[in-house]
Amino acid sequence: MNTAGPALEVRSLTKNFGRRAILAGIDLTLDRGEFLLLLGPNGAGKTTLLRVLATLLAPTAGDASVLGYSLKSDPTEIRRRIGFISHSHLLYRDLTTYENLRFYGEMYGVEDLDDRITELLERVELTHRRYDTVRDFSRGMFQRLAIARALLHRPELLFLDEPQTGLDPHAVDILDGIIEELRADHTFVMVTHNLERSLELGTKAIILKNGQIVYDSADRPDPAELKATYRRVCVTGDSNECD
Amino acid sequence: MSATKQFWAILRKDLLLEIRSKDVFTSTFLFSIMALVIFHFAFSPNLKDLTPVAAGMLWVAVLFTSLLGLNRSFVHEKDEQCLDGLLLTPVDRPVIFLAKLAGNLIFLIVLQVIVVPIFALFFLGGLTGAAALKLAMVLLLGDLGICGVGTLLATISANTRARDLLLPILYLPVMTPFMMQVVSYTNALIMGGTAAVDMSSWLYLIIAFDIIFLLAGYALYDFVIGE
Repeated sequence: MNTAGPALEVRSLTKNFGRRAILAGIDLTLDRGEFLLLLGPNGAGKTTLLRVLATLLAPTAGDASVLGYSLKSDPTEIRRRIGFISHSHLLYRDLTTYENLRFYGEMYGVEDLDDRITELLERVELTHRRYDTVRDFSRGMFQRLAIARALLHRPELLFLDEPQTGLDPHAVDILDGIIEELRADHTFVMVTHNLERSLELGTKAIILKNGQIVYDSADRPDPAELKATYRRVCVTGDSNECD
Repeated sequence: MSATKQFWAILRKDLLLEIRSKDVFTSTFLFSIMALVIFHFAFSPNLKDLTPVAAGMLWVAVLFTSLLGLNRSFVHEKDEQCLDGLLLTPVDRPVIFLAKLAGNLIFLIVLQVIVVPIFALFFLGGLTGAAALKLAMVLLLGDLGICGVGTLLATISANTRARDLLLPILYLPVMTPFMMQVVSYTNALIMGGTAAVDMSSWLYLIIAFDIIFLLAGYALYDFVIGE
């Protein structure tokens, strides 16, 4: 395990889709154990940045080290150590709860897999649906199972892409509880539009616009300053681009 | 975690999904049976002996059935962005290729176990034991080439919005030289064999195509999956 250095070190990271630059030279450093809030208007490049850092997209230029491993040369080592929760749950609808988790557990090589599945299903309160096909799950149940999927291999760094979108209050409580439990020894990067709620969590915040960082709190963000900057970046005339 | 365990995990998951949904099997089975029935009724009023055209009809049915199956083979991965989930795991991309290829191959073989005896009944009126074994071998070699290229190209087309259109455009021209060898060999086999040297040269070409297709898929998969 590579425990030296920051959790994230991003240097001149660029991502183009065709001629369009979605990320235009991102520089960012995040220490281990921090909770980074990634904010910005729709289309600012937040999800693209998350997907590049999670090795789902290759950068066009620049590089980043994630937990000490290079995106370009060690993507497999990064994948072993990260968890990813997005608004899509990444679960197979025709498999049962247990089969979904067993599949992902085997792909990650989780050794105590059955025990780990039991533990996580209890944590996300889905033990009673262990052998049910997930096709008929509610949005909240899908997302709770997605949380279990993302934590199965005990990742050190969690990427959360608007994880609370569409969740019922109970699922939000479970997610908040898990984040609270993991905060002490995990690093988080969370894309969110919910500034009020996430301010309690963040130890650092950046605001992206047009693929560039327009605000970097450097340290624990000052709520008043962050809210004012967020409003300035997001609100154009009568419309709020961050909603 | 070993690549072997990951290979089996992906293959088992794909088979389980197909057994539950029957997405690929139902459509491909119905298509191949319909193709053979239509060929039979189209040719039988004019030809008393269908043996000379049987090889062509068999491989037309196999080729288009496989196209249908390959197009469906990524449906579960695109649903709810499960492909992202798979790509987030620490698996080497060629392992995904081999597992997907094995899944497609198993579907095609299971289908042929049911369809080829019906084909033999319609068009051949029976085969000797040795010829049946050789037919099984050429079917297997043909399936391997079809699934090798097909898995690679189905992955490329799955990442586009026009995947139903793109796969046949990419797949059919690439398969043409391969299918020429496979049909020639199968035809010679069904007709009772021509000069031994001709048949073995077709067979060597089929094996060479298989090796090239598999190596190309294995080497290129990292570049085609994902983005």
